[in-house]
Amino acid sequence: MDKLDYVGKRVLRKDGPDKVTGRAMYTVDMEFRGMLTGGILRSPHPHARILNIDTSRALKLPGVRAVITAQDTLGVKHGFVETPRYPPDQHPLATDKVRFVGEEVVAVAATDPYVVEEAMDLIDVDYEPLPAVFDAEEAMKPEAPEIHPTHPKVEGPFHNIGGKTASGWGDIEAGFANSDYVRQDRFESHLRTHGYLEPQATVASFEPDGKLNIWTSSQGPFIKRAKLARTLGLPFSTVRVQKAYVGGAFGGKIDLFSHEFCAALLSMKTGRPVKIIVSREEIFSAYRHGQPLIVEVKTGAKKDGTLLAQQFKIINNAGAYRGSGVVVIFLAWGFAMLPYRVANFEYEGYSVFTNNPIRTPQRGHGAPQLRFAVESQLDMIAEELGIDPIEIRMKNARRSGEQLPNGDNVHNCGLRDCIQLIDKHTSLREKYGQGRAAGSSDRMRRGIGIGVSSYFGGSLIYPNSSSVVVKMNDDGSVALLTGAMDIGQGAETILSQIVAEELKVPVDEIQVTAADTETTPVDIGSWISGNAYVSGNATRMAAGEVRKKLIDLASEALEANADDLILKDKRIYVAGSPNRGLTYQKLVSASIQERKGDPIIGEGHWRTMRDEPFHPSLASTKGRWSENYAFDAQTAEVEVDTETGEVRLLRAVTAHDCGFPINPLLVEGQIDGQVSMALGHAFLEEIMMEEGRTLNPNWLDYRMPTIHNMAPSEHIDVITEKYEVGQPYRTKEVGEGYVSAILGAIANAIYDAVGVRLFSTPFSAEKILRGLGKIK
Amino acid sequence: MEKRPGKQLLELTVNDEFYELAVEPQETLLEVLRNHLGLTGTKEGCGTGECGTCTVLMEGEPILSCLTLAMDCRQKKIQTIEGLDRGEGLTVVQDAFLQQGAVQCGFCTPGMVLATTALLEENPHPSQEEIKKGLEGHLCRCTGYNKIFEAVEQAARGKSRDGDLGSV
Repeated sequence: MDKLDYVGKRVLRKDGPDKVTGRAMYTVDMEFRGMLTGGILRSPHPHARILNIDTSRALKLPGVRAVITAQDTLGVKHGFVETPRYPPDQHPLATDKVRFVGEEVVAVAATDPYVVEEAMDLIDVDYEPLPAVFDAEEAMKPEAPEIHPTHPKVEGPFHNIGGKTASGWGDIEAGFANSDYVRQDRFESHLRTHGYLEPQATVASFEPDGKLNIWTSSQGPFIKRAKLARTLGLPFSTVRVQKAYVGGAFGGKIDLFSHEFCAALLSMKTGRPVKIIVSREEIFSAYRHGQPLIVEVKTGAKKDGTLLAQQFKIINNAGAYRGSGVVVIFLAWGFAMLPYRVANFEYEGYSVFTNNPIRTPQRGHGAPQLRFAVESQLDMIAEELGIDPIEIRMKNARRSGEQLPNGDNVHNCGLRDCIQLIDKHTSLREKYGQGRAAGSSDRMRRGIGIGVSSYFGGSLIYPNSSSVVVKMNDDGSVALLTGAMDIGQGAETILSQIVAEELKVPVDEIQVTAADTETTPVDIGSWISGNAYVSGNATRMAAGEVRKKLIDLASEALEANADDLILKDKRIYVAGSPNRGLTYQKLVSASIQERKGDPIIGEGHWRTMRDEPFHPSLASTKGRWSENYAFDAQTAEVEVDTETGEVRLLRAVTAHDCGFPINPLLVEGQIDGQVSMALGHAFLEEIMMEEGRTLNPNWLDYRMPTIHNMAPSEHIDVITEKYEVGQPYRTKEVGEGYVSAILGAIANAIYDAVGVRLFSTPFSAEKILRGLGKIK
Repeated sequence: MEKRPGKQLLELTVNDEFYELAVEPQETLLEVLRNHLGLTGTKEGCGTGECGTCTVLMEGEPILSCLTLAMDCRQKKIQTIEGLDRGEGLTVVQDAFLQQGAVQCGFCTPGMVLATTALLEENPHPSQEEIKKGLEGHLCRCTGYNKIFEAVEQAARGKSRDGDLGSV
């Protein structure tokens, strides 16, 4: 096996120099001659009929160049999911009704932001307010106001059901009947947001030749092109979505947003470039946040801790349109299925319309909420059965090669190693129970807890697959063309490492052209945890084809067997005779002369589950989901102040099977960032809403972790896969799973410290003091 | 339409260059830097002084340019992220951020780098608490701050060719 020079190394980010010098251009930084500023007028009501919109006064204001309403659009709807069962349900601008505070009603383009603001004040919209409902369980009641009709295929007396997922296997009743111990619990999570530092922004420039150029802060250009082209009624060939640097996304910038559509249409109307920057207040109060879930889980176990039966009911508060609400109830099923073997299983999940802003994926997309419930309950079961948290997890954790109930296979699964290694590393079993045993006289009490999670790496949602082109330059350096969007995770760096490894060319001699619908091939996108595996293997194939062409030429020219050739320092030579060799530069010119002008170009394509036609059914879960699953166990050690109820996270450890790290430095960054985000989830962050209005639309009142909240984060790599030049590989995702197990670990650690079991997030001081009996 | 107050003359020095600009009285320093001078390395994360991304140095001290009226910068010396570039490569602080993996999406990075530079100019060997104090006004959503913290420690240990915080 070749020694690896680039893959698996702590290669510095390719875009690092641009970012530390301020040269990196984000969408907000794009400037064009004659550019107009756009803005959006939003609904002040959570639910209302639009009776009339009068824009005439705004249009007369000097400096205003265009005002658009739904009447200026084609009336084409869009949605996060667009399938026959779940057709698109959002208009880019509201038509007859508004269904949440902040829904987009009118858009304006003017010569500067001050004129835009004045124009907004001159637009008169008459509304007839309608009864509204904000709580998911309230919205399900027959007497609740109807936001949208319940999905025709969902049976039952419920109102406002946008979609349902139902699945199971085994015999759930027999499973409970055969159990020695059964318990049922209900867990709730709260509303949080992504907190990307770069605001959402779009620049649209409609050219006289009919080309619509778009720069937009996103997680991948191809889905944006598809949705813009469809809603604007344009062929794909005239819509070009191009790369700008992206200042964080975390799931919040995936599908089409109204400001993107409006910037495009305003540019088409005016013939001028239009920029819309969404204000932080708008992002907090009107944009798509994550998804609070209600998780009811009933579990049956044998005396030895073997799980026999598990029954779930999930309710998702989806907001005013379907959004990703029908995806999260599917995914929660998957996150329940993955880490542990349960012979009898029944699941139903409901996505419920309410008069709240629309929801979208947020890093982990349901996994933190789901794993918090399961991991908390598992510790309760273990305690009742008198076994420890490690033993009950080892008893049920999946093993390598295991077939999942949906037909997928976990392949090489390091979960059991993760659990055992983290126990050893943290001495969990020795420490566990000592906090509670310490006696109630200590004010500061410490505890330790564990959680487990698993996450998929790539699945079949549009655009499904990745393609990559690798080209040799005349001087022997290399160009990489990829549709992948680097959102800060380091996509361009790891893909460059793969090219570097296959061709033995230094990473800094690889030019990357990325994320441009016109010049780069299609890419799966940076939101389905498939970049390292799907785009990575496409890159490996493309570079591999170049490698093969170079070797063929060298083999012929050097009259040597291809197996005897060594690639090193942009040169190929015969093993044992370093002087018998040719530089890449010479090989490229030889190729052009002798191979009909071929300058040496390679292409690669990768599609996960290549024999599967579609994504599994969101309704029934039938069909393959992924061929790539990462596993992790995480521990939290906390200190609880029993006087104030404040909790400090003293130490977080992540033992993870990510296959193998392509770039350990970037993997550590993903782990640290996720632990921090989970800490915010557990203790600090909450979007507070009243009657559909956001009460804390700013970072003073929505408290994200600061450097004072930095959590000591350690990690243990469990390597289950390997990289070999010229071979397909199966590395796994690292961007979402590690925000997921730690939440349950923190809840379990708080219990271990003070004996207070928390059934809802956030883990506030108030809840802990109430649990301690110190307040009512 | 309300008549806007007229523009006023602003004289200031940005990255060692002297400028005379006509600005509106309500314009912030951030707007002047980005819109008049094209210095887009300074970012706006919130516009209300909560996130620290718009940090620049005024007379060597970090300030929030989104909360600073441009007209309050008369005759002041301003340094932005672009001002660290002397054509000699990355500075000690920039290099440390890169080496330690303290950069992900990069949107908070210019503010973080300038705040760190100011901190180390003032206090070349800060304690852990002093590092936290120096960066407490800066939000980063990607890194969890661990590697930023390590980058500041590396920069405090490091020295440029000239023994200061200049280019490595």
